[in-house]
This record gives sequence, structure tokens and C-alpha cells, in this order.
Amino acid sequence: MKPYWQLAALVALVAAGGLALRLPRLSQRPMHGDEAVHTVKFDTLWTTGKYVYDPQEYHGPVLYYATLPAMWLSGTRSYAKTSETTFRVVPVAFGVGLILLLPLLADGLGRGAVLSAAVLIALSPALVFYSRYYIQETLLAFFTLAAIAAGWRYARRRRAGWAVLAGISIGLMHATKETCLIAFACLAAALALTSALRRYERTTVERASEPASGQSASHDRPASASRRHSVPIVAGALAAVLVSVLFYSSFGQNPRGPWDSLRSYATYFDRAAGHGLHDHPWYYYWHLLLAWRERPGPWWSEAFIAILAALGLIVVATGRHGASSPGLIRFLALYAVLMAVAYSAIPYKTPWCLLQFWPPLILLAGLGAASLLRWVRSRPLQILIGLALFAATAHLGWQAWRSTDWRRYGYRNPYVYAHPLTDVVRLAGWVERLAQVHPDGHLMLVKVIAPDPWPLPWHLRRLERVGYWETPPADAEAPIVIASNDVEPAVQAALRGQYEAYAYGLRPDVMLWLRVDSALWRAYVEVEDRNRHEP
Amino acid sequence: MQFPEGLIFRVLFFVMLYVIGLIGFAGVTAAQDHPVAPVARVVVPASPATQPIPPSTQPAAGETGADQKKPDPNLAPLPLKLPKPAFKGTPQHVPPGVVNLEKPRSGPRPEFLAPKGTKNVAAGKPVTSSDNDPIIGSVKLVTDGDKEASEGSYVELGPGVQYVQIDLKDRYRIYAIVVWHYHMNARIYHDVVVQVADDADFLTNVHTLFNNDHDNSAGLGLGRDKQYWETYEGRLIDGQGTVARYVRLYSNGSTTDDQNHYVEVEVYGLPAK
Repeated sequence: MKPYWQLAALVALVAAGGLALRLPRLSQRPMHGDEAVHTVKFDTLWTTGKYVYDPQEYHGPVLYYATLPAMWLSGTRSYAKTSETTFRVVPVAFGVGLILLLPLLADGLGRGAVLSAAVLIALSPALVFYSRYYIQETLLAFFTLAAIAAGWRYARRRRAGWAVLAGISIGLMHATKETCLIAFACLAAALALTSALRRYERTTVERASEPASGQSASHDRPASASRRHSVPIVAGALAAVLVSVLFYSSFGQNPRGPWDSLRSYATYFDRAAGHGLHDHPWYYYWHLLLAWRERPGPWWSEAFIAILAALGLIVVATGRHGASSPGLIRFLALYAVLMAVAYSAIPYKTPWCLLQFWPPLILLAGLGAASLLRWVRSRPLQILIGLALFAATAHLGWQAWRSTDWRRYGYRNPYVYAHPLTDVVRLAGWVERLAQVHPDGHLMLVKVIAPDPWPLPWHLRRLERVGYWETPPADAEAPIVIASNDVEPAVQAALRGQYEAYAYGLRPDVMLWLRVDSALWRAYVEVEDRNRHEP
Repeated sequence: MQFPEGLIFRVLFFVMLYVIGLIGFAGVTAAQDHPVAPVARVVVPASPATQPIPPSTQPAAGETGADQKKPDPNLAPLPLKLPKPAFKGTPQHVPPGVVNLEKPRSGPRPEFLAPKGTKNVAAGKPVTSSDNDPIIGSVKLVTDGDKEASEGSYVELGPGVQYVQIDLKDRYRIYAIVVWHYHMNARIYHDVVVQVADDADFLTNVHTLFNNDHDNSAGLGLGRDKQYWETYEGRLIDGQGTVARYVRLYSNGSTTDDQNHYVEVEVYGLPAK
């Protein structure tokens, strides 16, 4: 077998391992509020065939379009019958795809680095955890790496097709999430710096050789070469624009979409500047990644990856990489550092955003691991380092497995953020059982009064008459009234009927009060008592 | 290394084009061939209930039983030692008049009277649980006498319906059971069910002393007792003088997290004659 195919087979094996880690227990964790919002947005696309982009909120349409194949394959016919798994397999596929892209960089990074990076991506707890989250981040990370890989292939072979593929990937980045702009800026800066560095080195070498040869070298490229490059690059740019326009316009059904996608940046620049709930200090991501503990739970750390990435940076800086392309690893190092700095500097932080700078740092970590093994000449030391790397990798894998176990580790996981409690599942289950007793069945009226009811719309999706209000409506009465504690006094004042009320937790700091009309409650009690006494 | 440029490129390029084409086609046609009509998410509010409003069927749950009896020279307050309070004040945003939640008490709990000589017969007694592998701590902590709201004082069982079971090693007449689930912050545990029995499998002479499982999610029958806030005073359950050897306490997560916690359980009784 040729070396490339050997590598591809090994990476495929690692990807299979990554898939095995990401697939189990997908339905165990209750839907996060953001995930629930995306399922409803998907449902709108599914039922209307059209996605209307909102420049004030939500994100691009790629996630929802990418969910369509998952729905077809699952055979699900309606939103009410979907499950958490049906949605979460989509980011799982892209999370594993991230690993499968790596061989495209093999002739620039080196086989050892690619294989090491594949293992680290497969086992990084952060990447595993968010690969199981129905949000845009994993898709954005995938398309970014796809753009880099296709761009690298174009740089190597100058085939126009790779430029077009890179363009398509860039278009998909844009149509996935607005934060792609940070990646675009960092990619451009890294590319410019790498080119500048190469020009500087070339000039230095040429100057050094001038006295000896007595000739002056020309710095200008032939005009025909520039033209040769400009055609594929223009084709790639057109592909990027076309893909973005197609998705934002919902394939021609929403002509305003592309314009709205540009207008949205006013909102996102304002949000990034930091004005709210999600503002965190610069070290926020590093605290989560390097050493985190919710007492009395276990410690979590991906410091092993960070140390290897630092080693990778040293390798790039000293030039002792042994890789066939210093250009690519310089570019990747600059890109990773710029992304990490940019995301640390932006006050608005949600933990899943780290998915944009952590994969490029893992590529550097792969380079660091491969270089470490190559530098060491002594056999016993090689074995010792190999064992240490194996142990640290196994520890990562164990943490990644823990991150998928919601029942045991739930909130004691650094990547869990404002997550709903399993109480909402219990609440929805009971409301459904009450509906079975109510004469209207699943058409029973349910009123939810809460400024932020998410993810209730997901968990109550099987009931067809559920209304949502931020404050009590004029007529607040219903067989079931669910209110969050911040509007509870107003709800209390608005209700005249008699209810049984019970407390549920929505999130650790938010309670819900479930009111059941007393007549319905008595009917439920009768049925339960009858069932209990029947053999 | 020979990179198979042409093959990989062609495969990737056509796969990507195919997928985008497929997705675009699906998006355009989804509205036409989707089998289910859109579901109205916001509905017109219904008219108010027209049925007469009957009184609540929920019995008024009292935390103390014996304390309401006439003074009896043979009775004495339980020798109950309380831990230090871990949080002050009543929980915020508690809706007034919520039927099935006990209002937080403003002062200390009234003394519970039991026959003189009644003592904690659960101290140091063996404990088992439905979770063979507790997430934090061990079940020994349930009867070790440490009731403080601190790390290392409690056992944490997994989510869902879980129980701890105490073997009193002999038959006792039980006058009160006091349980501290977790009192570091204000929270309400779900499906709190307390049963006593003569056998470890809870098949003989089973009595339910407390049950606030309003939706029967624990599967032990609907409970008529109220939900309550955890505090440093613990929850005192009237044992009604029931004679039993085993005590089992169920719970099903709380309003703050999915796990089940037990800081301490005390069983106050006298040997059964």
C-alpha cells in the first residue's frame, strides 16, 4: 500500500473511533435552549421549504439544510416525532468530517503530525462534547478546515477545481454563522504574514547570493503566471458568493436574504463589543480548557493538547519541523494564534465558540507530538515519551467519554453552559399524561408565560395547542398554565380559576410553576387510582 | 509521498456539488411534498373555565403530628441537634399561595413531641441504595451523624428515581424520621417518598409515611403531601408510631439539579416490644 493510502486508512480508523465516541447517548441530555431554537427553525424550513434569515437573531441556514438528509434517512415524518438524536447526528457527522479532512494536509504537515492531530481531534473533550450539540459551531469549524485544506491543495497543484472547492467552503462558512468574519480576517492576516515572511526570506537569500553571482534577480512574476492564478481565484471567489447567495436566498425564495446577511453585522459587531449576559474575561476559554473543576466533581483539563500546541509553535518558530512545507505550518501557526487571540479578546464569549480556534491549535499540537518523537534519538527515552503521550491521550479519551455522560457528570462539565435540567423533560412528560386525561387530548390548551421559555417548545412539541407569552395575556386561564418565577406574581394576579401548582427547575437558577386546573387534576387522580387498583 | 490528487479532487468536487444540488432541490420542493401541515405554535387563548371551582382535594400536609396533641407528661421533645444554616432568608420569587408547596417557615420548627427515651436509632446503622456506584461520597454518610452542608458530608446518587435504605437491625416503633437531602442552597426535591417495612425487599408490612410524588413519576402511587424547600432543619416526617425494621427514602432529582443527595437521615424511635 502506498504511504498516502496507509495514512488515509489510519485516519479513517481514528475517525471511526471518534464516531464511536460521539454517537452514544445522544438523547440523554435535555435539549439546550439554543438547540431547541434551531430545531424550531429547522421545522419552519421543513414545513414551508423556505428559510427567511433574521439579521437580528439566529444564524445562517446551512445547519437547517444539512439536517434535511438526516430527516430523510431517519424516516421521520413530522416534527412531533423527531428526537434529539435525529438532530444531533448532524453535528456528529461534521465533527467526524473534521478528522477526515486532515489527510488533505498530509504533504504539508507530515504524516506523523496529521495522524497525531486526528487522534487529538477525535478525543478532545471539547470537540466531542460540542460535536453532539445541535448548533452551528461544528459545521463552521468543518468548513473552515475544508477551506484551508482546499486552499492548500490549490497552492500545491494549482488546479482550478481546488480553488473552486475552497470558494465553496468559504461560501458555506458565511452561510453557516456570522462569526465566520473573524476566521476570514485571521485567514487573510495569516496568509499576508506568511507571504511577507517568504518574500523577506527570499530577498535575504538573493541579496546574500548577489555578490557571488554578480547578477540581480528579478522579483517580478511573469504576467502570464499572474493571469494563470487570477482565473482560478476569481472562480473560487464567484463560487463563494454563489453558494452564500443561494443559501441566504433560500435557493431563490427569499431575495432579501443575502442583503440581510450583510446587514446582520451591525448587530453582531455590537454584540461582540460586549454589553450583556455572555461577557467574560479574556482567560475564560483557557480556564475551561486548561484546568476546570466544579467542586466536588472531577478535574477537567486539555492542557496536554495546549502543551503540545506550544511545542508545535516552538517547532514552527525554530524551523525544526522536518515537514515538507514550512509555508503551510507557518500559515497554520499564525492562523491558530490570531484566532486564539481574537476570541480571547472579544468580550462576548460562549464556550462553544472555542471550537473555532481549538482545531487549528490541535493541528499545531499534532506537529508538536510528531516532532517530539522525531527529535528524541535514545530508544529508552522514545519509549518513555511514547508511554507518556499514550497515557495523556487515554486521559483525554476518558474525559471525552465522561463529557457524553449527562447522567453522572451533568453540570460538572466545563462545556455545559446555561443548560436546562432534566426537570423540563419530567414536566413535559406529565403535561402529556394530563393531556391523555383531558377531553381535548393532544389539542389541550397549554399556556406558557415566560420571558425565556426555551427549550419548552421542543419538549412540548407533541402538543398542538401551546401558546407562549412573555407576560400574562388578557385571558390567562387554561387547563395547564406554565409560568417562570419572574412573571409568577403577575400570573397569580391574572388567574381566577383554581389550580394545583407544582415547582420544576428549568435551569439551576430558574424555576417554573406548573399549574394544573383542579378539575383536570382530579380527573388525573381518578385515572391513576383506577390504574393502581386494577390488576 | 505521492498524493493522489486527481482522484481525491474529483470525488470531493462531485460530492460537494451533488450535496449542494440535493439540498437546494430539497429546500425548494420540501413545501410541496411535506406530509404534515404546519403546526400553529401560538394559539388563541380559550375562554375562561366555566365549570364550578371545587375545593382542593390536596390534604393540608403538616410537618408535625405529635406537637398538636395535648401536653402529655410522658412526651418530650425529640433530642434533635440541627446543623449550621448554610444560607439565610427565605427563597426569592416564591409565588404566594402556591397550593402544593409549603411556605418557607419564618421561625424555627415547633418542637416535635415523642415518648420519653426516644432516640435516633439509625445512627451508624448500615445503609444501602438503589445506586450501587454513587457519584460522590458513600452511603455510609447517610447515618454518620454529620449533617453539615459541606463537601464530604453527603452522598450523591445518580439522576432519576433513587433511594437509600437503612436497616435498623431490629424492629422499632418509629415516631419521627428527619431527612436532610442537601441544604447548601434552597431547592425542592421531587418525589420524596418515605416508606417503612419489616423486610429488606419491602414486601411485608409496608407503610408509606410521606409521599409528595404528585405525578406518580416514581411509580409508587400519587402522593398527597406537599413539596417543600430544603433547609438546615431538614424535613421531619411523622412516623405515627409505626413498627418496622427497614426505612427507605426515595427522591427524583431537584429543582436545582438532576442528582439525588442525602446528607443525613435520622430515625427516632423506641425498641418494639
